[in-house]
Amino acid sequence: MKILLIPALLLNLSFAAVVDDYLGSLKQEVIKENPSFTGFDAKRGEEIFTSKHIGKKGKEISCTTCHTSNLSNSGENTFTGKTIEPLSPKANSKRFTQIKEIEKWMKRNFNDVYNREGTALEKGDVTTYIINQ
Amino acid sequence: MKYLIFLTIVLNSLFAESYSSGKTDVAPVNNQLYIKECGSCHFPYQAGLLPSNSWNKIMSNLDKHFGVDATLAPEDFATLSKYLNDNSAEKNMQYKRSNRIVSSLLPGQVADSISTTPYMIKKHKEIRKDLITQPEVKGLFNCVACHTTAEKGIYGERDINIPNYGRWED
Repeated sequence: MKILLIPALLLNLSFAAVVDDYLGSLKQEVIKENPSFTGFDAKRGEEIFTSKHIGKKGKEISCTTCHTSNLSNSGENTFTGKTIEPLSPKANSKRFTQIKEIEKWMKRNFNDVYNREGTALEKGDVTTYIINQ
Repeated sequence: MKYLIFLTIVLNSLFAESYSSGKTDVAPVNNQLYIKECGSCHFPYQAGLLPSNSWNKIMSNLDKHFGVDATLAPEDFATLSKYLNDNSAEKNMQYKRSNRIVSSLLPGQVADSISTTPYMIKKHKEIRKDLITQPEVKGLFNCVACHTTAEKGIYGERDINIPNYGRWED
Protein backbone atom coordinates (compact mmCIF):
# COMPACT_ATOMS: atom_id res chain seq x y z
CA MET A 1 0.00 0.00 0.00
CA LYS A 2 2.79 2.40 0.93
CA ILE A 3 4.48 1.61 -2.38
CA LEU A 4 1.32 2.71 -4.14
CA LEU A 5 0.82 5.78 -1.99
CA ILE A 6 4.23 7.34 -2.58
CA PRO A 7 4.01 7.60 -6.39
CA ALA A 8 0.40 8.75 -6.09
CA LEU A 9 1.46 11.43 -3.66
CA LEU A 10 4.36 12.52 -5.87
CA LEU A 11 2.08 12.77 -8.90
CA ASN A 12 -0.37 14.76 -6.86
CA LEU A 13 2.35 17.12 -5.67
CA SER A 14 3.65 17.69 -9.17
CA PHE A 15 0.10 18.28 -10.39
CA ALA A 16 -0.55 20.86 -7.66
CA ALA A 17 2.78 22.62 -8.28
CA VAL A 18 2.25 22.80 -12.04
CA VAL A 19 -1.30 24.11 -11.75
CA ASP A 20 -0.22 26.66 -9.11
CA ASP A 21 2.55 27.85 -11.42
CA TYR A 22 0.25 28.05 -14.41
CA LEU A 23 -2.55 29.88 -12.58
CA GLY A 24 0.01 32.13 -10.84
CA SER A 25 1.46 33.37 -14.12
CA LEU A 26 -2.01 33.85 -15.63
CA LYS A 27 -2.99 35.85 -12.54
CA GLN A 28 0.01 38.15 -13.00
CA GLU A 29 -1.14 38.79 -16.56
CA VAL A 30 -4.71 39.57 -15.50
CA ILE A 31 -3.59 41.90 -12.70
CA LYS A 32 -1.61 43.99 -15.21
CA GLU A 33 -4.89 44.85 -16.95
CA ASN A 34 -7.11 44.83 -13.89
CA PRO A 35 -5.35 45.71 -10.59
CA SER A 36 -8.49 44.99 -8.55
CA PHE A 37 -8.71 41.35 -9.83
CA THR A 38 -9.45 38.98 -6.95
CA GLY A 39 -9.28 35.48 -8.39
CA PHE A 40 -10.33 32.96 -11.01
CA ASP A 41 -13.85 31.63 -10.93
CA ALA A 42 -15.02 28.10 -11.69
CA LYS A 43 -18.53 29.33 -12.48
CA ARG A 44 -17.26 31.60 -15.25
CA GLY A 45 -15.05 28.70 -16.36
CA GLU A 46 -18.06 26.42 -16.63
CA GLU A 47 -19.78 28.93 -18.94
CA ILE A 48 -16.63 29.06 -21.11
CA PHE A 49 -16.50 25.27 -21.23
CA THR A 50 -20.15 24.52 -21.93
CA SER A 51 -21.32 27.42 -24.14
CA LYS A 52 -21.57 26.96 -27.92
CA HIS A 53 -19.69 29.09 -30.44
CA ILE A 54 -19.01 29.21 -34.14
CA GLY A 55 -15.62 27.54 -34.21
CA LYS A 56 -12.70 27.53 -36.59
CA LYS A 57 -14.52 25.22 -39.01
CA GLY A 58 -17.49 27.63 -39.18
CA LYS A 59 -19.76 25.24 -37.33
CA GLU A 60 -21.34 25.45 -33.87
CA ILE A 61 -19.17 23.72 -31.31
CA SER A 62 -18.33 23.77 -27.59
CA CYS A 63 -15.63 22.18 -25.46
CA THR A 64 -18.21 19.60 -24.40
CA THR A 65 -18.72 18.50 -28.04
CA CYS A 66 -15.55 16.42 -27.69
CA HIS A 67 -14.94 16.27 -23.93
CA THR A 68 -18.62 15.69 -22.96
CA SER A 69 -20.10 17.47 -19.94
CA ASN A 70 -18.85 14.82 -17.52
CA LEU A 71 -15.10 15.41 -17.35
CA SER A 72 -14.47 12.12 -15.56
CA ASN A 73 -15.60 10.29 -18.68
CA SER A 74 -13.71 9.72 -21.90
CA GLY A 75 -14.72 11.83 -24.86
CA GLU A 76 -14.34 11.58 -28.60
CA ASN A 77 -12.75 13.90 -31.14
CA THR A 78 -15.83 14.93 -33.12
CA PHE A 79 -13.88 15.19 -36.39
CA THR A 80 -11.70 12.06 -36.27
CA GLY A 81 -13.52 9.74 -33.86
CA LYS A 82 -10.39 9.25 -31.76
CA THR A 83 -11.02 8.61 -28.06
CA ILE A 84 -10.02 11.42 -25.69
CA GLU A 85 -8.99 10.35 -22.18
CA PRO A 86 -10.85 12.08 -19.29
CA LEU A 87 -9.93 15.74 -18.82
CA SER A 88 -10.48 15.88 -15.06
CA PRO A 89 -7.22 15.42 -13.13
CA LYS A 90 -9.24 13.50 -10.54
CA ALA A 91 -10.05 10.85 -13.15
CA ASN A 92 -6.82 11.07 -15.16
CA SER A 93 -3.60 11.70 -13.23
CA LYS A 94 -1.72 12.76 -16.39
CA ARG A 95 -3.81 15.90 -16.85
CA PHE A 96 -2.37 19.31 -15.89
CA THR A 97 1.07 17.94 -15.04
CA GLN A 98 3.06 19.79 -17.74
CA ILE A 99 2.86 23.53 -18.51
CA LYS A 100 3.87 22.90 -22.13
CA GLU A 101 0.95 20.49 -22.65
CA ILE A 102 -1.54 22.80 -20.95
CA GLU A 103 -0.49 25.76 -23.09
CA LYS A 104 -0.52 23.71 -26.30
CA TRP A 105 -4.09 22.53 -25.79
CA MET A 106 -5.40 25.87 -24.50
CA LYS A 107 -4.16 27.58 -27.65
CA ARG A 108 -5.46 24.88 -30.00
CA ASN A 109 -8.82 24.36 -28.37
CA PHE A 110 -9.70 28.04 -27.86
CA ASN A 111 -8.94 28.49 -31.57
CA ASP A 112 -11.06 25.47 -32.50
CA VAL A 113 -14.07 26.46 -30.38
CA TYR A 114 -13.85 30.29 -30.19
CA ASN A 115 -11.90 30.89 -33.40
CA ARG A 116 -9.45 33.02 -31.37
CA GLU A 117 -7.02 32.47 -28.54
CA GLY A 118 -8.23 32.66 -24.95
CA THR A 119 -7.41 35.59 -22.68
CA ALA A 120 -5.45 35.02 -19.46
CA LEU A 121 -8.69 35.49 -17.51
CA GLU A 122 -10.54 32.92 -19.61
CA LYS A 123 -7.74 30.37 -19.41
CA GLY A 124 -7.53 30.80 -15.62
CA ASP A 125 -11.28 30.49 -15.19
CA VAL A 126 -11.63 27.41 -17.38
CA THR A 127 -8.62 25.73 -15.72
CA THR A 128 -10.17 26.40 -12.31
CA TYR A 129 -13.41 24.81 -13.53
CA ILE A 130 -11.70 21.72 -14.98
CA ILE A 131 -9.46 20.92 -12.03
CA ASN A 132 -12.42 21.05 -9.68
CA GLN A 133 -14.51 18.65 -11.74
CA MET B 1 28.93 -20.97 -64.41
CA LYS B 2 27.84 -17.57 -65.67
CA TYR B 3 24.40 -19.02 -66.23
CA LEU B 4 24.28 -20.29 -62.64
CA ILE B 5 25.21 -16.92 -61.21
CA PHE B 6 22.60 -15.24 -63.36
CA LEU B 7 19.95 -17.73 -62.29
CA THR B 8 20.81 -17.21 -58.62
CA ILE B 9 20.46 -13.46 -58.97
CA VAL B 10 17.13 -13.77 -60.74
CA LEU B 11 15.77 -16.24 -58.20
CA ASN B 12 17.00 -14.11 -55.32
CA SER B 13 15.35 -10.99 -56.63
CA LEU B 14 12.12 -12.90 -57.17
CA PHE B 15 12.04 -14.06 -53.58
CA ALA B 16 13.05 -10.66 -52.27
CA GLU B 17 10.13 -9.17 -54.17
CA SER B 18 7.57 -11.68 -52.87
CA TYR B 19 8.95 -11.39 -49.35
CA SER B 20 8.85 -7.61 -49.16
CA SER B 21 5.31 -7.39 -50.52
CA GLY B 22 4.08 -10.27 -48.38
CA LYS B 23 4.27 -8.64 -44.96
CA THR B 24 4.62 -4.99 -44.18
CA ASP B 25 3.13 -2.66 -46.77
CA VAL B 26 4.69 0.45 -45.31
CA ALA B 27 7.38 0.97 -42.65
CA PRO B 28 5.74 1.16 -39.17
CA VAL B 29 6.06 4.36 -37.14
CA ASN B 30 9.11 4.20 -34.87
CA ASN B 31 9.05 7.65 -33.27
CA GLN B 32 7.38 8.10 -29.87
CA LEU B 33 7.03 11.89 -30.20
CA TYR B 34 5.22 11.39 -33.51
CA ILE B 35 2.83 8.89 -31.93
CA LYS B 36 2.20 11.19 -28.95
CA GLU B 37 1.76 14.45 -30.85
CA CYS B 38 0.04 13.36 -34.06
CA GLY B 39 -1.62 10.30 -32.61
CA SER B 40 -3.47 12.22 -29.90
CA CYS B 41 -6.05 13.42 -32.43
CA HIS B 42 -5.93 10.83 -35.21
CA PHE B 43 -4.40 7.57 -36.35
CA PRO B 44 -0.62 8.17 -36.56
CA TYR B 45 -0.20 7.65 -40.29
CA GLN B 46 3.08 6.08 -41.38
CA ALA B 47 5.46 8.63 -42.90
CA GLY B 48 5.81 6.30 -45.89
CA LEU B 49 2.21 7.01 -46.92
CA LEU B 50 3.14 10.37 -48.49
CA PRO B 51 6.17 11.85 -50.22
CA SER B 52 8.10 14.60 -48.46
CA ASN B 53 6.65 17.43 -50.56
CA SER B 54 3.18 16.54 -49.27
CA TRP B 55 4.35 16.28 -45.67
CA ASN B 56 6.01 19.67 -45.96
CA LYS B 57 2.80 21.19 -47.32
CA ILE B 58 0.81 19.69 -44.42
CA MET B 59 3.35 20.80 -41.81
CA SER B 60 3.40 24.36 -43.13
CA ASN B 61 -0.36 24.66 -42.49
CA LEU B 62 -0.68 23.24 -38.97
CA ASP B 63 -2.59 26.34 -37.81
CA LYS B 64 -5.46 25.15 -40.02
CA HIS B 65 -4.82 21.43 -40.20
CA PHE B 66 -7.92 20.01 -41.92
CA GLY B 67 -9.81 22.87 -40.27
CA VAL B 68 -8.38 22.64 -36.76
CA ASP B 69 -5.41 24.14 -34.91
CA ALA B 70 -2.64 21.54 -34.65
CA THR B 71 0.26 23.89 -33.96
CA LEU B 72 3.30 22.52 -32.14
CA ALA B 73 6.09 23.91 -29.96
CA PRO B 74 8.97 24.96 -32.28
CA GLU B 75 11.31 22.18 -31.09
CA ASP B 76 8.64 19.50 -31.65
CA PHE B 77 7.76 20.95 -35.04
CA ALA B 78 11.43 20.64 -36.08
CA THR B 79 11.77 17.06 -34.79
CA LEU B 80 8.57 15.87 -36.46
CA SER B 81 9.26 17.62 -39.76
CA LYS B 82 12.64 15.92 -39.90
CA TYR B 83 11.12 12.55 -39.01
CA LEU B 84 8.52 12.82 -41.77
CA ASN B 85 11.11 13.91 -44.31
CA ASP B 86 13.58 11.20 -43.38
CA ASN B 87 10.93 8.48 -43.67
CA SER B 88 8.72 9.71 -46.50
CA ALA B 89 7.31 7.49 -49.24
CA GLU B 90 9.78 8.28 -52.04
CA LYS B 91 12.63 7.19 -49.75
CA ASN B 92 10.86 3.90 -48.96
CA MET B 93 10.10 2.57 -52.42
CA GLN B 94 10.98 -0.98 -51.34
CA TYR B 95 7.66 -0.95 -49.44
CA LYS B 96 4.73 -1.82 -51.69
CA ARG B 97 2.26 0.87 -50.62
CA SER B 98 4.83 3.68 -50.50
CA ASN B 99 5.85 2.70 -54.00
CA ARG B 100 2.27 2.55 -55.32
CA ILE B 101 1.31 5.87 -53.77
CA VAL B 102 4.31 7.69 -55.22
CA SER B 103 3.88 6.04 -58.61
CA SER B 104 0.20 7.04 -58.77
CA LEU B 105 0.81 10.79 -58.38
CA LEU B 106 0.40 12.90 -61.49
CA PRO B 107 3.44 14.85 -62.67
CA GLY B 108 3.82 17.87 -60.42
CA GLN B 109 1.00 16.77 -58.08
CA VAL B 110 1.56 17.59 -54.40
CA ALA B 111 -1.17 15.67 -52.57
CA ASP B 112 -2.96 17.47 -49.71
CA SER B 113 -3.65 14.23 -47.87
CA ILE B 114 -3.13 10.48 -48.05
CA SER B 115 -6.74 9.78 -48.97
CA THR B 116 -6.62 12.09 -52.01
CA THR B 117 -3.68 10.35 -53.70
CA PRO B 118 -4.80 8.58 -56.91
CA TYR B 119 -3.77 5.18 -55.51
CA MET B 120 -5.89 5.60 -52.36
CA ILE B 121 -8.89 6.84 -54.34
CA LYS B 122 -8.63 3.85 -56.66
CA LYS B 123 -8.23 1.33 -53.81
CA HIS B 124 -11.33 2.62 -52.00
CA LYS B 125 -13.66 3.38 -54.91
CA GLU B 126 -15.66 0.15 -54.69
CA ILE B 127 -16.65 0.72 -51.08
CA ARG B 128 -20.18 1.99 -50.48
CA LYS B 129 -20.20 5.69 -49.49
CA ASP B 130 -22.39 5.12 -46.43
CA LEU B 131 -19.91 2.59 -45.03
CA ILE B 132 -17.21 5.25 -45.20
CA THR B 133 -19.28 8.07 -43.72
CA GLN B 134 -20.94 6.01 -40.97
CA PRO B 135 -20.20 7.21 -37.39
CA GLU B 136 -17.88 4.25 -36.67
CA VAL B 137 -15.62 5.30 -39.54
CA LYS B 138 -16.35 8.97 -40.35
CA GLY B 139 -14.09 9.13 -43.38
CA LEU B 140 -11.24 7.63 -45.38
CA PHE B 141 -8.79 9.31 -42.98
CA ASN B 142 -9.68 6.75 -40.29
CA CYS B 143 -7.49 3.86 -41.52
CA VAL B 144 -7.71 1.84 -38.35
CA ALA B 145 -11.52 1.76 -38.35
CA CYS B 146 -11.38 -0.98 -41.01
CA HIS B 147 -7.71 -1.94 -41.41
CA THR B 148 -7.28 -3.85 -38.18
CA THR B 149 -3.49 -4.13 -38.58
CA ALA B 150 -2.91 -0.56 -39.80
CA GLU B 151 -0.73 0.27 -36.80
CA LYS B 152 1.73 -2.42 -37.87
CA GLY B 153 1.87 -0.98 -41.37
CA ILE B 154 -0.15 -3.88 -42.80
CA TYR B 155 -3.04 -2.91 -45.07
CA GLY B 156 -3.73 -6.25 -46.75
CA GLU B 157 -7.22 -7.33 -47.72
CA ARG B 158 -7.44 -10.21 -45.25
CA ASP B 159 -7.06 -7.85 -42.29
CA ILE B 160 -9.96 -5.61 -43.31
CA ASN B 161 -13.08 -5.57 -41.15
CA ILE B 162 -15.58 -2.85 -42.07
CA PRO B 163 -18.00 -1.94 -39.24
CA ASN B 164 -21.57 -3.06 -39.99
CA TYR B 165 -20.35 -4.90 -43.07
CA GLY B 166 -17.58 -7.30 -42.14
CA ARG B 167 -14.69 -8.66 -44.10
CA TRP B 168 -13.93 -7.30 -47.52
CA GLU B 169 -13.70 -9.71 -50.40
CA ASP B 170 -12.92 -8.38 -53.83
